[in-house]
Amino acid sequence: MTLLVLQHVSKAYGGVPALRGVTLTVSPGEIHALMGENGAGKSTLIKILAGVVAPDSATIRMDGAPVVIDSPRVAHRLGLRFIHQELNVVPTLSVAENILLSQPVPRRLGLFVDWAKLNRLAGEALKTLGITHIDPRAPLAALSLGDQMLVKISSALVSEPGAPARLYVMDEPTAALTREESERLFRVLNEIRRAGNSVLYVSHRLDEVMTLCDRATVLRDGVAIDSGKLADITHNDLVSMMIGRKVQDAYPAPARPAESRELFAAIDLSGPGVGPITLAVKAGEVLGIAGLSGMGQTALLRMILGDTRAKGDMRLDGQPWRPRGPADAWQGGVAYVPAERRSEGLVLSRPIYENITLPHLSRQSRSGLLLLRGLERALSQKLGDGVRLKANTVNQRAVELSGGNQQKVVFAKALNGTPKLLLLNEPTRGVDVGAKFDIYQIIRTMTAKGLGVILVSSDLPELIGMADRIAIMRSGEVKDVVAAQGLGEEALLNLCYGRDAAKVA
Amino acid sequence: MLKFVLRFGTLIGFAIILVVFTIALPESFLTARNWLNISQQLSMLTVVAAGMTVVMVMGDFDLSVGSMATLAGVVAALLFTLGQPIEVAVGAALLIGLLGGIFNGIMVSVFGILPFVATLATLTMFSGAAFIVSGGKTISGRAIPEAFGAFARTGVDIGGFIVPNLTIVAALVLVVTWVLLEQTPFGRRLYAIGGNIEAAHLSGVRVRRLKIAAFALTGLSAAGAGLLYASRVASANPTQGSGLMLNAIAAVFLGMTMSRQGEPRLLGTLMGVLILGVLDNGLTQMSVDSYVRQVLVGGIILIAVALGSISKTRRR
Repeated sequence: MTLLVLQHVSKAYGGVPALRGVTLTVSPGEIHALMGENGAGKSTLIKILAGVVAPDSATIRMDGAPVVIDSPRVAHRLGLRFIHQELNVVPTLSVAENILLSQPVPRRLGLFVDWAKLNRLAGEALKTLGITHIDPRAPLAALSLGDQMLVKISSALVSEPGAPARLYVMDEPTAALTREESERLFRVLNEIRRAGNSVLYVSHRLDEVMTLCDRATVLRDGVAIDSGKLADITHNDLVSMMIGRKVQDAYPAPARPAESRELFAAIDLSGPGVGPITLAVKAGEVLGIAGLSGMGQTALLRMILGDTRAKGDMRLDGQPWRPRGPADAWQGGVAYVPAERRSEGLVLSRPIYENITLPHLSRQSRSGLLLLRGLERALSQKLGDGVRLKANTVNQRAVELSGGNQQKVVFAKALNGTPKLLLLNEPTRGVDVGAKFDIYQIIRTMTAKGLGVILVSSDLPELIGMADRIAIMRSGEVKDVVAAQGLGEEALLNLCYGRDAAKVA
Repeated sequence: MLKFVLRFGTLIGFAIILVVFTIALPESFLTARNWLNISQQLSMLTVVAAGMTVVMVMGDFDLSVGSMATLAGVVAALLFTLGQPIEVAVGAALLIGLLGGIFNGIMVSVFGILPFVATLATLTMFSGAAFIVSGGKTISGRAIPEAFGAFARTGVDIGGFIVPNLTIVAALVLVVTWVLLEQTPFGRRLYAIGGNIEAAHLSGVRVRRLKIAAFALTGLSAAGAGLLYASRVASANPTQGSGLMLNAIAAVFLGMTMSRQGEPRLLGTLMGVLILGVLDNGLTQMSVDSYVRQVLVGGIILIAVALGSISKTRRR
């Protein structure tokens, strides 16, 4: 028995096929992964399911009966619920109001809002999903992003009595979530599965998919591949399905070990809410920074960047390091790849080459007074090729690129002007597998040249696979520094929680 | 077709305006004399709008340009009455513009006050200062040196046409501003700030410093425009710059509808200034009542900006 069957789904945009005869089946009580690199056709398929895009051809069955989904209303009536990356929530309203946003407000005397009933209904909706830590009366804005997503899922659950939710479609729900928020989400998804409902789960994170999902459908160049039971295949099998070639390792090995020369050191560094932190990075070394979210990782990077005033001493390449702002830091050879590429990393409306040359424009112009666009373009082309950037020209605006390629522009910018130290904040978040591997290669190439890298990541396998040593941050301080080699994910997670709290994990 | 109209709506509108005036005013509209006249009338607005473009590139505003123009004119005139030579008076007026602009920039970038609020406050301050300096009266007559007024009345003979000095000054300001915005790292960084201030900051753009510099340039250009006006009327009074600010912002907005990304660009601003100036010139010659003129000009700005934003939402 199947819940949803999609067959022969085809869709072309202006003659270019996005989907070619795709088949997708979802059973009741199943978490089904939908995977594929950027541009493989995932979002087109979801939009067809949502009734937003009309397919050129498609046969769709729900519970064995043929259906035509030609509007979002129909999709909703069929029990399909869509939870996008950008949550459509109203931050100024309370949790309860958001959960019941699409419902008529319960009233007293037909006039006054029945707050008690509103909060009770919302509380019940949350409880069905096993969520007890969220107060329905709290303003939504006070919640973490992960909790906001749980609220959104709850709201999808309560909508309209005649059309119960059957299938939740989630587009990269964990892209912006911390590890513990993700864990909580997974518990909720398992709850949904237990109740016999299904989830279509879009994600780039293979580890997540392997542990959470039952089966996967992989899209590649508009064609669907059924993975079969995920329990029967390996991580690498799945990657091969996605990129269409065999892979050996998810993380490339370093070309040579780190040098003994100390490149960067921070001694008793402290700033608002963080520190004291003491750490050192050798030339050619990747120092990983692990920790639960908000334990001061970003604050640490920003202190090194000079963006936050810091007390204590820093040394770079044997010299005292005291940047008075990011401008100083870039000039002195420290490059920063921020966590949010769209809001912090790129000027989306401007061309690729303008983004790449922004930090070193003074040097890459005539005496800092006149632009040399020819030189800028040639340099950007070279740096872009070095990071395997796929773009038509360097004149293309950054906004037109896929997430992975946008991140490569951020890297090309960071590698401009021969940096000594790279500060990477979640460098592969929301990036597809192919681009992810390219980024790991870039890191290896750079360390082989003697650069130091500080890698902050919430992706624990990534830290273990890429870092030489890992510093664990808790409550704004570096609590442990461990060698990455041979370290298990479980062990690292326990360190992040602190040993006493290990059982919480 | 519809797309084309939306994209180039403002230019098409300008062309239609030109055709209508050419037909309605066959004798006078399309003559070199009229256009030289228009260029002179527009010189003050051009200078202010060029400066306004600089701050609007960063996504900011300067509402104080009109009263800064007034203040600069009044200060120069006051120095004339005190017997100071032209260089001193002009230099002091420009300095006031520069300092006022820096003050605006500090309020916005160091204290983080919204440009709308900060420059609304300085608009009032500069205006009040102009009344204090002038004692609320028009300064004119013998106190103003002959050469100062003569500057605006004369011009340079270029190919048989006397091009007014004011026009030449405006053209120079345009060229310098264009180079600054389009050909220098300074301009590039301003566009980066306008595109994403956080990303620019984290990429090593010294946002605070650049904002102050940009506002300083806007203040300087406003003071320059005030001097041009004072020269043209050979006098200064504490209300003369009042119309400049709204027209300058309108010109930049009109120009933004012509750029593909909807960014302020200097050539767009120039087109905006021309549209406003030509409308004013033509309608005046057709003896359309000045209040009716205001309604028409306002309506045209709204239509242009509406078309521009429709074409942008469609592209999304």
